[in-house]
Amino acid sequence: MTMSDLRKINIDGTEYEVPAEYTLMQACEEAAGVEIPRFCYHERLSVAGNCRMCLVEWVGAPKPQASCALQVKDLRPNRDGTPANILTNSETVKKAREGVMEFLLINHPLDCPICDQAGECDLQDQAMAYGRDFSRFEENKRAVDDKFMGPLVNTIMTRCIQCTRCVRFITEVAGVEEIGMANRGEDAEITTYLEKSLTSELSGNVIDLCPVGALTSKPYAFNARPWELESVESIDVMDAVGSNIRIDSKSGQVLRILPIINEEVNEEWISDKTRFVWDGLTRQRLDKPYIRENGKLRAAGWDEALALAADKLKGGPSRIAAIAGDLMDAESMKALKDLMTSLGVRNLDCRQDGSVVGGGPRQDYLLNTTIAGLEDADAVLIIGANPRLEAPLVNARIRKGWLHGDMAVGLLGEAVDLTYNYDHLGAGSSDLTKFMKSTKGFAKTFKAAKRPVIIIGQSVLTGDNAPALLRRVGEFAKKSGVVTPGWNGFNVLHTAASRVAGLDMGFLPGEGGVGTAGIISKAEAGELDTVYLLGADEIDSDFGNAFVIYQGSHGDNGAHSADLILPGAAYTEKYGLYTNTEGRVQAANIAVPLKGDAKEDWAIIRALSAHCDRVLPYDSLDQLREKLFADHPVFAGLGHAPGAQGAEDFDPAKMGKAGDLADYNFAVSVREFYLTNPIARASKVMAECAALSDITPLVEAAE
Amino acid sequence: MAKFFKRLFAWWDGATLGTLLQIARKGTKIGSDDYGNTYFEEKGSGYDGRKRRWVTYKGYADASRVPSEWHGWLHHMFDAPPTVAPTAHYAWEKQHRPNMTGTVHAYKPKGSLDRGGKRDRVLGDYEAWKPDA
Repeated sequence: MTMSDLRKINIDGTEYEVPAEYTLMQACEEAAGVEIPRFCYHERLSVAGNCRMCLVEWVGAPKPQASCALQVKDLRPNRDGTPANILTNSETVKKAREGVMEFLLINHPLDCPICDQAGECDLQDQAMAYGRDFSRFEENKRAVDDKFMGPLVNTIMTRCIQCTRCVRFITEVAGVEEIGMANRGEDAEITTYLEKSLTSELSGNVIDLCPVGALTSKPYAFNARPWELESVESIDVMDAVGSNIRIDSKSGQVLRILPIINEEVNEEWISDKTRFVWDGLTRQRLDKPYIRENGKLRAAGWDEALALAADKLKGGPSRIAAIAGDLMDAESMKALKDLMTSLGVRNLDCRQDGSVVGGGPRQDYLLNTTIAGLEDADAVLIIGANPRLEAPLVNARIRKGWLHGDMAVGLLGEAVDLTYNYDHLGAGSSDLTKFMKSTKGFAKTFKAAKRPVIIIGQSVLTGDNAPALLRRVGEFAKKSGVVTPGWNGFNVLHTAASRVAGLDMGFLPGEGGVGTAGIISKAEAGELDTVYLLGADEIDSDFGNAFVIYQGSHGDNGAHSADLILPGAAYTEKYGLYTNTEGRVQAANIAVPLKGDAKEDWAIIRALSAHCDRVLPYDSLDQLREKLFADHPVFAGLGHAPGAQGAEDFDPAKMGKAGDLADYNFAVSVREFYLTNPIARASKVMAECAALSDITPLVEAAE
Repeated sequence: MAKFFKRLFAWWDGATLGTLLQIARKGTKIGSDDYGNTYFEEKGSGYDGRKRRWVTYKGYADASRVPSEWHGWLHHMFDAPPTVAPTAHYAWEKQHRPNMTGTVHAYKPKGSLDRGGKRDRVLGDYEAWKPDA
């Protein structure tokens, strides 16, 4: 920003220089440090200016001014040429705020004692700070019918103060236009028009946005008061975005999950799965070891279970395999990898869906543009992904770029509603080849773009054709300037929270070892004795006669086919490092205690290593982390995403395999957004959402 | 012999010797209730026109073993003792029961483990996975 953009402004008697495009509110808060009360204004939404709470006095102006809507550059200097005087706590301002508060409270019910928002309510707080201590209103209060917004958002519409934050969020950020304001004046109501459930994957954010108790969380309703909750800042594992979250718990039970601000990852939004999955944390929990005897699982003690596991890991290393699941922390994968390596086992894989990425440099499998960087892209090509379901917050970023910039989007794969317009370039591999050769339409835009981006979905990275396809896309990216020094537009969109960490530490088949597909086929052919599943639940196989050890937190697919179950911790119950799809390492924290006899996952593997006489060289999580950082330095860079670092070394010759590409249609890897992992599948709320999304068609005609 | 020593030292049953002596000197017997507790009233004029009233328990000395009609007389709610002016009894009235705390008949709320009940779900509880195979 250059100096010429700065304007002088006098706030409460002190002169400041602020950028001309600042609003008065920004100038007051950021330059002068004065707090301006507001209800309708929100940094990430368009300016509505309808609550009038942010009124300030512009000396000389006939009326108080809404500071959220007036820009500094629109202020006229005083007659004598001195900068305009803004007062934020004069008698006029105080009176104006009291008047606004009084009007808002006229039709607001006095039901704070039964309202879930009480204690964290903007209206409550500001009535204390800026309101009068009495009411002059003696008429009847108005009442508004409650609206149905689906299984997540509870509505008590009489409490609504018509700030329209929810309307603006759903329209602008979520992009589904399902909430609006109907009627005028006293009859104005926020409504969903047709009384149908919100279809956005981000709908839960309207609960946070609502400054009063009109929109509250349905699953959390009447469960706790905000001051009773213990809050822990942590990382979400529902997708590979790694949203920063705050886990609120009471008496050892997670009661709600809220976003915390991280501009580079999730801004201040989280997806509905992240927010509402918590009831799955108390269902279907594995709380003691089980051993299968005569075809039936029976409860067992830890010593017995670990001794049996150690016994089963004694055989030839070529007849043992391990697969890491999608929700695992880096430490436990590292511990299992170290144990398996010391046993000589080479059949390792952290890609339970059979994806082909990994093994090469980091930029071959990361979302290199970074999530925040996607906003800067001017042409985005999505190949075989539905970012709306695979990573709703990445989709929201693309939508943000599309809405506020001149981003063009093309989609190869199934035509789905992505909440923004795109050119549908076809559904399969032949269309990809056609696109690469084409010089018309979107292909022309893409090839001329300064900051082009390719996003590859997980679905095209699995299957027989994946290596050839990956090589082609890589070569195309190199050739068409998608990856240049300083800009890396080659992106792999992961869906598993643990995947990038697994790839970073090389939880991959070693010399002569086989990956997931090989492990399954070998096990079914009877060539494997033992398969160790570390939270791997998405594999559709019973592994033939192999002895299956399942370690995890929830009784799901993995536990059903297991011969030995070792109960581990869910992501809210352990410290752990997770690397998101950008390659950003983030640390999760303990919010609630372990369930029953369950243990932290790394500790189980450490204990097992002692039973195997292969004692791992760490006795605490800190020591394990030290080992992890020493072996794989990328994990030490907490919170950092590499982005375009090293883009000049991008070499497609190391990616996939050259070969012929068959003609086939791309699939979508996430079909049922609400049921992608064992925790979500244990949640009743998620089941309800899934049932509703089945009857609400998500797929609408694309442009 | 045991009875003698018990009378001498066991202050928790009945009344102590000192109390019995005092009541014998100063009180007249008014009557006794179904439990066998005996009630006395002061012979003299009393304090401020109010005669003192006493109970000596049969067995364990526990104030909750005084039935309600005698309790009323003992606390000067009624002038006349139940022997003179019996209080009305109704069909819906329950039999008087002493405090059962500490006995096997003690009240146990719904969900008490002693009652063998299942307690209600509380925060922090979880549903454990059960193998069906």
